[in-house]
Amino acid sequence: MTSAALDMREVGMVYPTATGDIEALADISFSVAPGEFLAVLGPSGCGKSTLLALASGLEFPTAGHITVSGRPVAGPITDVGIVFQTDVLLDWRRVLGNVLLQIEMRGRDPALFRERALGLLRMAGLGGFEAKYPFELSGGMRQRVSICRALIHDPPLLLMDEPFGALDALTREQMVLELHRLWFEARKSVVFVTHDIQEAVFLADRVLVMTPRPGRIAEILPIGIAHPRHPTTRETPEFIGMVAHIRKLFLDTGVLKDNQ
Amino acid sequence: MTPLAAGGAPAGLPAVQSADTGRGRARRRLPASVRSALMLFGVLIAWEIAVRLARVPVYLLPPPSVIALRILQDWRLILAQTWVTSAEVLMGFGLSIAISIPLAAMLFQWRWLEETLYPLLVASQTMPKVAVAPLLVVWFGFGLAPKILIAFLICFFPIVVDSLVGFRSLPKEVLWLAKSMGASPGKTFFKIQIPAALPHIFAGIKVAATLAVVGAVVGEFVGSDTGLGYQLIVANGSLDVRLSFAVLIVLSLIGIVLFGVVDLVERLLLPWHISQRRAGPRRAGELE
Repeated sequence: MTSAALDMREVGMVYPTATGDIEALADISFSVAPGEFLAVLGPSGCGKSTLLALASGLEFPTAGHITVSGRPVAGPITDVGIVFQTDVLLDWRRVLGNVLLQIEMRGRDPALFRERALGLLRMAGLGGFEAKYPFELSGGMRQRVSICRALIHDPPLLLMDEPFGALDALTREQMVLELHRLWFEARKSVVFVTHDIQEAVFLADRVLVMTPRPGRIAEILPIGIAHPRHPTTRETPEFIGMVAHIRKLFLDTGVLKDNQ
Repeated sequence: MTPLAAGGAPAGLPAVQSADTGRGRARRRLPASVRSALMLFGVLIAWEIAVRLARVPVYLLPPPSVIALRILQDWRLILAQTWVTSAEVLMGFGLSIAISIPLAAMLFQWRWLEETLYPLLVASQTMPKVAVAPLLVVWFGFGLAPKILIAFLICFFPIVVDSLVGFRSLPKEVLWLAKSMGASPGKTFFKIQIPAALPHIFAGIKVAATLAVVGAVVGEFVGSDTGLGYQLIVANGSLDVRLSFAVLIVLSLIGIVLFGVVDLVERLLLPWHISQRRAGPRRAGELE
């Protein structure tokens, strides 16, 4: 039996602050199967990003257990690709150099990964841009480079923290389509944090909906829509039903309020 | 997606030149360097004419032509003194760079060290260097050492402060990313933290470059028998205003050349940063 790509059992997280403890997460239990796309959906400040920090071993929970590929998390996980809301590209490296940073920092020979990096960039629609500096690219292109950087070493698990949050609506929709295609071809386990209901439903196998602070799991919702999905998927009754269901969940938990 | 900046701009040159940031108007003017030169030339002409028309005695304010002549006449003496002062400036400046950047890195790495040392550093800076200079002469004699030390003392603080700001300016996500790549702290430092801090480090070094000359001259004022500072004291003592002006001009030339070299190195090392700065709104740095 293959172990889950990521497994959390009764995880809780409490931050001590000057004005008392803040409970960021409580009683979080879920697991991500190999190749599964899990979207974590919740309002701002519900501890979504904390969840990713815990999953990547950058922070440690105050309660519960976390395993990645069956191994308990005891320090920063390196078998992973991370994409943040900001692209955090290094301004002094060209596009190719930014992608290959992942390889250099791992102490491997970047020359061996050059072709793969160029291939990834082409796949991300950045063919011919490998010698540009980040400041010469638009926001969407920069974020694509950072996704390539997260994929170059072929990690089994991809952690994405609102990666399209800083992009304009149209670019965002395009990026969602491209990410879906990329995932459909590579079939990596993905944990995708977002506050966008449509984005979550469109991309995910399952959507984990969270409540406001302390972040708890409101519901884990399987999205039974077949892959691959297309722009028109958004107009299907299943899609609209799922979105409506989640919106109702947010109304019930007080994330959204009807002012009428 | 617009193929922004997809045009074939040569590498390292600003490819993004939006016309709506004021650059459009600037382009029709003469280049900044030519404008500065013309301005300087105009001031010199006005000075020359004013002094001659008002019949100001040469021992009070010599016209530029007389000063230039004096530099040409005494070039051997001035060159010899310039070497001495330049050596002091360069060594003090170099020493401050060599010590300040690692010091800033250590302060950044170890919070407790910063908390302990930073107030002391600030306190040491509030002490006027000019007042410390005589002490250094007492301790280290009339040779090179006290001049280098004073230049160093004046230079190191701005470099430390700016470098520290530079190290801190890196978003924490980048360091997380480095950890997820399994990178050692050393590798993270040299491949990511140092390059990220370089623009700030250079800002500090530029300030220091202009201060280094002051440091060396102060050292020479207090106790020396060579160097441009010493020559200035001698010239003033004998009311040789022409020589005083000649020395002043050479001193400022040393400062300008040092600054220019730092600026050039910055342009070569940080093409990504310079170009970004030029594409953006005009900033004070462009007035240099």
